[in-house]
Amino acid sequence: MTSSLQTTARLALMSAAVATFGATVAAADPIRRIDLITRPQAAQPAEFQFVQLIAQEWRRLGLDVNVRVMPWEQMSDIVWFNRDTWDTTAWQMVGRPERSDPDEIVYNLFHSTTAERGFNFIGYNNPDYDAIVEEQRVTLDPDERRELVRRAQAILAADQPNMMLAHPQSTFAFNQSVWNPESVVEQGGIGIRNTWTFMSLEPAGDQRSIILNSSDNVQAINPLYISGGVDSWITELVWDRLMRIGPDGLPTPWAATGYEWIDDTTITVTLRDGMSWHDGEPVTPEDVKFSFEAAGSGESPMYGPFVTNIESIEIDGMDITFNLIQPSAPFLTASLAKINLIPKHIWEPIIERLADSDENAESIQEDTPIGSGPFRFHSWTANEEIVLNAFADHFNAPKADRWILRIVPNVEAALGMLRSGEINFLADFPGDPSVLQSAAEQDPNLVAVSTVDIGFRYVAFNHRRAPFDDPAFRQALSSTVDRRMIVGAAFRGFAVPSNSVVSPALEFWHNEETGNMEAGLDRARAILEEAGYRLIDGRLHYPEGVSETLQ
Amino acid sequence: MTNPDTPRRAGRLRRAFAGLRLPLHDPLAIAGLAIYAAFIVIAIFAPQIATHDPTEILFTDDFQLAADLRPGEDGYIMGTTTLGRDVFSQLVWGSRSALVIGLTAAFMVALIGSIVGVVAGYFGGWTDTLLMRLADVAFGIPFLPFVIVLAAFLEPSIWNVVIAMALILWRDTGRVIRSQTLTLRTRAYVEAARISGSSDVKIILRHIVPNVLPLSFLYGSIAIGWAILTEASISFLGFGDPTSISWGYMLQDAYASQALSKRSYYWFVPPGLCIILIVSAGFFISRGYEKILFPKLDR
Amino acid sequence: MKAITAIGSRLLQTLFVLWAVVTILFLMFRLMPGNPMAAYIDPNFTPEQQDALMARFGLDRPLWEQYFIYLGNLLQGDLGESFFYRTPVTERILALLPNTLILTFSSLIVAYAFGILAGSYLAWKRGSRVEQVAVPVVLTTRAMPEFWLGMILLAVFSFTLGWFPAGGTRPPGAEYDGYWALYTSRDFLVHLTLPVLTLAIYSQGLPLLLMRSNMLDVMKEDFVTMARIKGLSPFTVVIRHAARNALLPVTTSFAIAVGYQIQGNVVVETVFSWPGLGRELVRAVSASDYPLAQGAFLMIAVVVILMNLIADLLYALLDPRVTRE
Repeated sequence: MTSSLQTTARLALMSAAVATFGATVAAADPIRRIDLITRPQAAQPAEFQFVQLIAQEWRRLGLDVNVRVMPWEQMSDIVWFNRDTWDTTAWQMVGRPERSDPDEIVYNLFHSTTAERGFNFIGYNNPDYDAIVEEQRVTLDPDERRELVRRAQAILAADQPNMMLAHPQSTFAFNQSVWNPESVVEQGGIGIRNTWTFMSLEPAGDQRSIILNSSDNVQAINPLYISGGVDSWITELVWDRLMRIGPDGLPTPWAATGYEWIDDTTITVTLRDGMSWHDGEPVTPEDVKFSFEAAGSGESPMYGPFVTNIESIEIDGMDITFNLIQPSAPFLTASLAKINLIPKHIWEPIIERLADSDENAESIQEDTPIGSGPFRFHSWTANEEIVLNAFADHFNAPKADRWILRIVPNVEAALGMLRSGEINFLADFPGDPSVLQSAAEQDPNLVAVSTVDIGFRYVAFNHRRAPFDDPAFRQALSSTVDRRMIVGAAFRGFAVPSNSVVSPALEFWHNEETGNMEAGLDRARAILEEAGYRLIDGRLHYPEGVSETLQ
Repeated sequence: MTNPDTPRRAGRLRRAFAGLRLPLHDPLAIAGLAIYAAFIVIAIFAPQIATHDPTEILFTDDFQLAADLRPGEDGYIMGTTTLGRDVFSQLVWGSRSALVIGLTAAFMVALIGSIVGVVAGYFGGWTDTLLMRLADVAFGIPFLPFVIVLAAFLEPSIWNVVIAMALILWRDTGRVIRSQTLTLRTRAYVEAARISGSSDVKIILRHIVPNVLPLSFLYGSIAIGWAILTEASISFLGFGDPTSISWGYMLQDAYASQALSKRSYYWFVPPGLCIILIVSAGFFISRGYEKILFPKLDR
Repeated sequence: MKAITAIGSRLLQTLFVLWAVVTILFLMFRLMPGNPMAAYIDPNFTPEQQDALMARFGLDRPLWEQYFIYLGNLLQGDLGESFFYRTPVTERILALLPNTLILTFSSLIVAYAFGILAGSYLAWKRGSRVEQVAVPVVLTTRAMPEFWLGMILLAVFSFTLGWFPAGGTRPPGAEYDGYWALYTSRDFLVHLTLPVLTLAIYSQGLPLLLMRSNMLDVMKEDFVTMARIKGLSPFTVVIRHAARNALLPVTTSFAIAVGYQIQGNVVVETVFSWPGLGRELVRAVSASDYPLAQGAFLMIAVVVILMNLIADLLYALLDPRVTRE
C-alpha cells in the first residue's frame, strides 16, 4: 500500500521540478498552495475526518493542499474577520428551530449585501440570486414563495459557492422505563431533544424528574442574550413566545391564540387569556409590547435584528397589532417565534438603568429569572447543574415535576450515566452515534433516536481569491468526492448527503432536484480540462493567460 | 533534598563521564536503560516495523472505511481506530514522538538549569540574586495551566510542551545545582586553581561542571517523564497536535471515540502502558543517579 | 530578631513573585495573536456596537494604561468581567475554588497517610523482597497518565461494577444547607471517592519515597542506635523514634505538594465532571475568554505561591537548624 506521506513527498518533488521548468514553457502559472482549515479532531472528529479525505482527493487533482488545524476561536477570527486571507475552510451551520424558515439560510448566507461583514463570508455575488431571495422575503403566499426558494437552490447547485457535504443526524437517547416512549416528540430537523418533548414527557414509573446532560457549561440564563447552545434549551422553557416552531417545523400560535394578516405589512395577534408570570403577576399585552421594544432598545444587540422591521406596535384589548416597515414572509418565525416575552415590571427599570451605562442587558443575570414558560427557574450550581420546576399554572403545564440539567464534560461518562440511571435523557452526545445505537440495542430500557438535521456541514470556498472565483473550478473541486463516502467515512452513516443548504428535513422548502451530483475524480478532471486548466507534471495549472495573483 | 555530599574527585572529565553516564551498578537503572534501548530501536526502525502510514485513512476491499476493526481482522495486527487508522502503526510511530519530546525537553531542562545553577552559584552577587529571583517567579507559575495557555495561543504542536518546560521547569534543576556549586566553590582545589590564575571559564569547565553533571542527569531523566505525561494531558484536553502521532494523541483519540464503551481495550490500553513504561524507565534511571549522588540511600 | 528579618524578607520576596506573575499573566494574555474579542463579536453587530464592546472591556486603550487599570482593579479584588458568562470573574472563581480545594486536600491527605505508613514500613523492611518489588511499583504509579487511570477506574468501578457515580459532586437535584452540609454528606463522599483515588494513587509516591529515605537516614542516627541497644523492640524503635524524626521533611513537602496538585487537577476534573477551577480554566482558554482564564490562572498561581511560602516558613519553624542562607 502506498502511504499518503510518500505520495505527498513525491508530489512536492514534482512541483519543485515544474517550478523551474514551467516558467519558460507554460504561459500560465501553477496554482499556488491551497489552505484548507479545520478544527481539531478532539472537538470535531467528523469534520477533521472529512477534511483529511477531501485533501487526499484534491491532491490527486494536482493541487498542493495544506491542512491547517486550529480551534474554533482562531478559525472564526480568520474566516470572519480576515475575509481575504483564507482559501477554503470546513464550516457548519447548526440546526436551530428558527432556521426552519429557509430565509435565514438562503438570504443571509449568500446575499451580496452580507458579504462585507455578515454571514456571506465567502463573498458570493450573483445579482440574479440576490433578486430571487429578496423577492421570496416579501412574498407572503407560501406556494409562490416555495417556488422562489426552490429556484434559489437550483442556482446554488449550478454555481457551487460551497462544497455542500451532508446534513448530519442528531442522535439522542432516553430511558423508556422512566419515560413513556409515546410521550417523546420528534421535532423535524431538530430531533427528540426539544421543548415539546420536555413538556410532554410522561413518567412511566416513580421517577418524575427529567435528568439530562450537557457537555458544555451554561453561560447565562437571560431572555435578552443569545448565548451558548445549551442556554437556549433553558430560555425556551422558562420564557414563552407568541408563537413556537412546532414539531412539523412550522410556526404555530403559542402565547398568542391566533394571528391575522390585515394587509402585507400589518399583522394582529391575540394574546392568550389568564397567563401569569412565575412571580404571580398576570401577563398583559403591555408586557408583550414591552418585550419587543426591549429587544429593539439597543441593550440587546443580538435580538435587535429580529425586530428592526417593526415600525410600531398597537394594543387594543388583548389584540396586539404589529405595523411592519416592509412585507416579511419569515416574520412569524424570525420575530414572533423568536422574541422572549418578559415581564415589564422587572425589566423596565433595568433597561432604563442600562440606558445610561456602557453595560447592556447581556451582563444582567437575575438571581431568579422570571418568565411565564412551562418551567420555572429553581437553582443553578455553577458548572454542575440547573434545576427547573414545572410551572403548574401554565396553559400547557409539563407532566414531569422537575427538569435537571447536569453538566458532564466527559462523553464516555455521560453514556455511563444513562446506562446506570444517573441521567434518564441523553440530550447531548458529541461522540460516535453508532456507540449510542449499539448501547440501545443491548439495553432494552434505552431508546436512541436519530433525526436528520436542519443544519449542515460544508467546505466553504473564498470567492475573493482566485481560482475560487471561477465556478468551473469550484464545480470541479466539489465533485471530487462522492458524498456517500463522506457520510460513511466521516459520519459513520449518521448523515444524509447534501447538495442544498435547505435540508430535506424541511420537506416543504427542499428542492430535491438538486439531488446528488455526479462525483468522482474523472468527473472533476473533465470539468477542469474543459475550463482550460492543465495538469503539467502532476501539478494543476491555471488556464492559458491566467496568472497567479496571490501567494 | 538533603545536602548532597560529593566524594568524587574533580578534574577528570573523562572519568567523570564514564562514571555518570550509565548507572550500571543498579538493577533497576539497568532495567530502565534496557527499556529505553528497546524504544530507541523501535523509534529508529519505525518505518520498517509499522505496517501502515499512521495517519492514512484505510479502507476495506469493498471501499468501506476500515473503522473499529478488532485485532487481526483484515490483517491489522492491533485493529483500527474509529477513523480508520492502524493502531499498531500509530503505537510504533508514537515511540518517536515520545522520545523526541522526552529527550529534547530533558536536554533543555538539564542544560538551562545547569547553566543557571552554575553561573548563579559560581559568580554569586547580583547575578545570583537575579537568577534566583527568576527561579522564584518560575516556581510561582503553575506549570500545566501555563502549557495549556501556551498551546492554545500557538498552533498545536508537540513542541509547545518542550518550550513550556524550557521556560519553567529549569527552576528545580537550577536551584539544586546552584547549591551544589556553592559547596564546590569553597573546595580547596577550586581555590587552588583560582590562585594559580585559571580563568573562571576554565575552572567552571574543569572543576565545577563534571561534578554537577550527575545531578543534571538526575533531573533530566525525571524531566523525560514529565514531558511525556504533560504532552499526554495536553492532548487529552484537546490542545494536542493531531498531525503528529503520539501516545497521548492516541489516548485522546480513543477516549473521544468512546473506545471504552466499544470495549476496544486493544486501542485504549497499549498507549497507556507504553507511557508508563517509558516514564517509569526514566524514574528507574534517576534512582540509579540518586544512588551515585546520595550513597546513603542505598545502605 | 534575626528570624523576624528572615520572615520579613521572605514575605517581601513573595510579594515580588506575586507581582511578577501578575505581570507575566497580563502580557501573556494581551500579546496573543488576533482580536481578543473575535469570538464574541456577533456578525449582526454594527461597527458601533463592536467598538462599544471593546470599550466596555477597556480594550480600546493603550497597553500600559490597560496594565495599570488591571493592577488597580486587582488590588480591589476585581478580576474583570468574563466574556463568556458576562458576569464578574471573581464571583465565578470563588464559587468553584472550594470544590478544587477540597479535592486537592482530600486526595493529598489520603496520599500522605498511605505514603507515610507504607514508607515507614518499607524502610523497616529494607532489603527484603517486599521492598525490592515495592519501590519499582511505586515509581510506576507516578508514571501513569492521570486521565488514563481515571478513565480505567471509571470503567471498572462505575460503568461495570456500578459502585460509584460517574461524575459530579452530588446526586441530581439534591440540596444542602450550605457548603458544610454538602461536604459532610454521604452523597458527597461517594462522589468524591473515585477522583480522590485517582489523584491519591498518583501522589502517594512522593511522601512514600521521601518517608522511606528519611527513615533510612534517621535510623542511622545515634539516638536510634541507643534505643536499639536499650533493647526496645524494632517496632517501637521505628514508630517512637525514627518515624517521628523522619516526618518533619515529609510534612513540609505537603505544602509544596498542594501547589503541585492543584495545577494538575485540570485533567481529573474533566474526567469526573468535577466543577472545579481547573476545568473552568480550560474552558476559558479554549473559549478565548481571557479575563476568566487570567483570573483562574492567577488564583491557582496564588495557591501555589502561598503554599511555597508556607513550606518555607514551616521548615524554618519546625527545624531550628535551618536559618536562611
